[in-house]
Amino acid sequence: MKDRLSAFYWLNETQFAQASSEQITSQRRSAIEKFEIEGFPSVRDEEWKYTSLKKLITPDYLFPSPFVPLDQEEQIDFNDIKQFLVNDIDCYQVVFINGRYSSWLSETTHTNYDICTLGSAWKKYPEVVESYFNKLTKDDGPLVQLNTGLAWEGLYINVPKNTIVDKPIQVLYISTGDTPVFNQTRSLIILSEGSSAEIIERHHSLTNHETWTNAVDELHIGSNAKIHWVKLQHDSSNASLTQHSKIHQEKDSTAIVHTISTGGKLIRNNLDFSLTGKGAEARMFGLSLGSDRQLVDHHTRVDHIAPNCSSHEAYKGIYDESSRGVFNGKIYVHIDAQKTQAYQQNNNLILSEKATVDTKPQLEIFADDVKCSHGCTIGQLDEDALFYLRARGIRNKEAKALLMLAFANDAIADIQHPSLRVKLSQLIGRKLGVDMSNAL
Amino acid sequence: MLEIVNLHASIDNKVILNGINLKINPGEVHAIMGPNGSGKSTLSNVIAGHDGYDIISGDILFDGESVLNFPPEKRAHLGLFLSFQYPVEIPGITVSNFIRTALNEIRKAKGEESLGASPMLKLMREKMKVLEMDKGFLSRSLNEGFSGGEKKRNEIFQMAMLEPKMAILDETDSGLDIDALRVVANGVNALRSDRNAFIVITHYQRLLDYIIPDFVHVLFNGKIVKSGGKELAIELEKRGYDWIKKEQK
Amino acid sequence: MRLRRKLFIVSDNDKIIDEVTSSDYKYGFSTEIDSDTIEPGLSEDVIRQISLKKDEPQWMTDWRLDAYKVWKEMDEPDWANVSYSKPDFQNISYYSAVKKKQYDSLDEVDPELLKTFEKLGISLDEQKRLSGVAMDIVVDSVSVATTFKKTLKEKGIIFCSMSEAIKEHPELVKKHLGTVIPKSDNYYAALNSAVFTDGSFCYIPNGVRCPMELSTYFRINEAGTGQFERTLLIADKGSYVSYLEGCTAPQRDENQLHAAVVELIAMDDSEIKYSTVQNWFPGDSNGKGGVFNFVTKRGICETQAKISWTQVETGSAVTWKYPSCILKGDNSIGEFYSVALTNNFQQADTGTKMLHLGSNTKSTIISKGISAGKSHNSYRGLVRMGPRAKNARNFSQCDSLLMGDKCGAHTFPYIEVKNSTAKTEHEATTSKIGEDQIFYCQQRGLNPEAAIALIVNGYCKDVLNQLPMEFAVEAQKLLAISLEGSVG
Repeated sequence: MKDRLSAFYWLNETQFAQASSEQITSQRRSAIEKFEIEGFPSVRDEEWKYTSLKKLITPDYLFPSPFVPLDQEEQIDFNDIKQFLVNDIDCYQVVFINGRYSSWLSETTHTNYDICTLGSAWKKYPEVVESYFNKLTKDDGPLVQLNTGLAWEGLYINVPKNTIVDKPIQVLYISTGDTPVFNQTRSLIILSEGSSAEIIERHHSLTNHETWTNAVDELHIGSNAKIHWVKLQHDSSNASLTQHSKIHQEKDSTAIVHTISTGGKLIRNNLDFSLTGKGAEARMFGLSLGSDRQLVDHHTRVDHIAPNCSSHEAYKGIYDESSRGVFNGKIYVHIDAQKTQAYQQNNNLILSEKATVDTKPQLEIFADDVKCSHGCTIGQLDEDALFYLRARGIRNKEAKALLMLAFANDAIADIQHPSLRVKLSQLIGRKLGVDMSNAL
Repeated sequence: MLEIVNLHASIDNKVILNGINLKINPGEVHAIMGPNGSGKSTLSNVIAGHDGYDIISGDILFDGESVLNFPPEKRAHLGLFLSFQYPVEIPGITVSNFIRTALNEIRKAKGEESLGASPMLKLMREKMKVLEMDKGFLSRSLNEGFSGGEKKRNEIFQMAMLEPKMAILDETDSGLDIDALRVVANGVNALRSDRNAFIVITHYQRLLDYIIPDFVHVLFNGKIVKSGGKELAIELEKRGYDWIKKEQK
Repeated sequence: MRLRRKLFIVSDNDKIIDEVTSSDYKYGFSTEIDSDTIEPGLSEDVIRQISLKKDEPQWMTDWRLDAYKVWKEMDEPDWANVSYSKPDFQNISYYSAVKKKQYDSLDEVDPELLKTFEKLGISLDEQKRLSGVAMDIVVDSVSVATTFKKTLKEKGIIFCSMSEAIKEHPELVKKHLGTVIPKSDNYYAALNSAVFTDGSFCYIPNGVRCPMELSTYFRINEAGTGQFERTLLIADKGSYVSYLEGCTAPQRDENQLHAAVVELIAMDDSEIKYSTVQNWFPGDSNGKGGVFNFVTKRGICETQAKISWTQVETGSAVTWKYPSCILKGDNSIGEFYSVALTNNFQQADTGTKMLHLGSNTKSTIISKGISAGKSHNSYRGLVRMGPRAKNARNFSQCDSLLMGDKCGAHTFPYIEVKNSTAKTEHEATTSKIGEDQIFYCQQRGLNPEAAIALIVNGYCKDVLNQLPMEFAVEAQKLLAISLEGSVG
């Protein structure tokens, strides 16, 4: 598969080069060369110790070309995707099908800020793209390099100084077609000083074939700017996602990221924050509900580079049937990052005999005036609490669901948007097999 | 015994003490009262030698000798004791171990022999009795999980053990109920003699019903703006601090 | 090891730091003893020579050669969070014996050596009379004296040097050696298996409670030698033993290598308490010299057995050590209590592995790391609940204390749960020593160094409490000495 991917790049290089600047092309080329040398990561790689990509790289995937328009099978209409959107809120909408932009399903803007597709930005905003693209991802692993080499389409947001994006941005990545498909998507998000935006992101597959989306995101959050990003990972059982999100934060900025993983086959999230300006704050939350043979793997890393920054992390996992959970959280406090406050919590419930959890919370600290802590638990539902609820007349299934919701609460409490909370409770309820629409 | 001369001190470039003058003779009890933020705790920290403050000018003399350049432990060795407003928790160190270490450090500095384990224990028991403290107290970790009242009692207990010449009680009454207040005051009164002196820093007159001061000073904006006898405390209680503030304007 | 009363007053189960005397490495003298040393270098011949000198049976020689073959095929590991220049294995002497061995009584021991022990504060005589600690002392890999043998013999307890055990109790050694830590386990374990020269052997028979603490004292003396001791401790069914191990090395400019292997076997219903106070020479304040301490320690617990590791690590330039428990039997218990203190340029990567195989197995991990100066201190641990580990429980607490802004503290726990009835809890905190705590102590008359020593001892109390009294005092004192110069 590695060879097919690299061949795909070299066959298309002229087209890549024509559609973007020389500087970008040379970055693509060196990224693909890195990927050629390293190949896909294996479990011998410490970062992939608990997650094997072996099965993921076997299918005979189609690599959709960004330069070929969508064909007949790929054409879908709004009714097909309606259910994947949070519907009753007014929002900007950017929809991709097999990694290609679908203008008829999208609602973009260039009025006060740019919310559009990266595919159009290469040509339209070459200076911006050149100064931000691949700045945060240069040294990352082979999957990121592969994406840098091949990705063409994805979300592009550029918000000028002191501007607030007036409504949430929904971005939807759809996989479809009658063959297995491997998509590379890429987003570039730039929030200038004092601006703010809210993003709701979702990946979904409409086909019964295997799909794999390899996504990379670069977010530049300027001083005093704020981003709130909610990722809903509730894909079908043959869809896999590997996503690397890199967030660069300046002075007094805030980034809040929620990752709700309730579906899909294999999910690997890498979420990295660099706190480079004083007073920056990163908050990250994760809720994973695993069932069947799902694997949900969260890797987070917070680099405290500047002093007086804080990070807060709460990841909750509930694993049933033969599902597997992996958590690897690293807090890295650099030498001058005094007065750092970092808090990390990872709690897991194992509900079935075949479910497993591997967790690796790590602290690496090179400054002394810091307050850092992490906690991690793996256990089961509290039998006493369950009995208490049942004794009050709540049926077993509902009682369990209630307790799980209580367990998960820390990870979703920060989501305030009412419609989003309803959507979320529906997703969780569906997963747990109970009606939870009023629970949140 | 203790003389503070035109003391100016600041923290993070903010001036907190703005020319304090105070002279305390053996046998005297001085009360320092004042509204929040007037500089009371800063004054006690500066006297004890906390290095978080910058001394801009002035001096602190203890038995005629300037102590400004002395580290906190040396001031303690000379007989200066501060009962902290917020005593610090030190996990893993028992009360008895801590007091024993402190007492023997002070004895060593004075050129005295260390006190052996059993006379030490005897002494502790005696003092605890006065303060109506439970024996189990000695084996608890220093201030860890103590209630507010227990912490303050522990401070007075340490004072009783270390027998300082000059003791500063920084809001020892805060967080104490009326019974605890009486016990603590009894403990202090039992220690009063013509060889030692006390500074009682408080917000309310209540404590001064039990520990009767010879002098009362009102601290405001880092300065002593009024001094008088114990009747001043009663007046303050009646009229509040506002009239002082108005007078200052 | 005897406590130096000059430094501590012990009373009422509470210890007070009275005085901390010198800031140099206290054990940094070397003793001039006539030694019999094999030329540096490693080959099959050298191994044959070691075996020959030790008058070993053929099976032992073969075992060593086999290990050597395994070692040659292996690479030195580099995953630990430490950096050092790798030892040159051809530049180390693998055998250095104090000449004239086989002492029947202490009178026959080289007087120079006895002086060494005196300097260290261990007078064997006094040791015998006062403390009731049976000691085996290993200097540069050769066991010098085992005291108290007779008293132990009456109970059927075997406590002797490894060399003696190979000769006197071959059946026990053959049966158990390398069963917990196979020759191929890791690079340094393989090296040790090939070249180990001595160590302690201990066997506690069925149902016997060892009436005294057993103790081994290790010291590297000869320059350019490595120490490769091998310890094998077998607690038969229903027995109990508490074992102490202490280490020092003289001050030398070059790095010395210490690669020990310790295997514990706790049979059904038995209990082993294994305590270490490690104070190998840490190098000077510029990071020159010091011991490379690459140690493999592991125990296996059968049904309802318990192994408890306690370690206080203050020495060595580089430490790489993970005393572990294989909780094989149902209801077995593993414990790990550790204080690791690094100062100046020391590096420590230490922790434990708790492998829960049986059901209802329990483990507790308490780790306290203290970093000062320019040192780096890492906790690395694995808790694994296997598929059969029904109702297994683990609790881990890993705290780091930082002193100064040039040091680092790192935590790398791995937690793998493959059983739905198992529970694990892991907590870790990192903080600096509280300035308000120091000020409070100062106000009560303690100088900053005494204040820090007191606070650090309080911080480590949960671990120090696990040590036998004498060791606890020794450990407290070591912590205080190792922290000297870290204030400011």
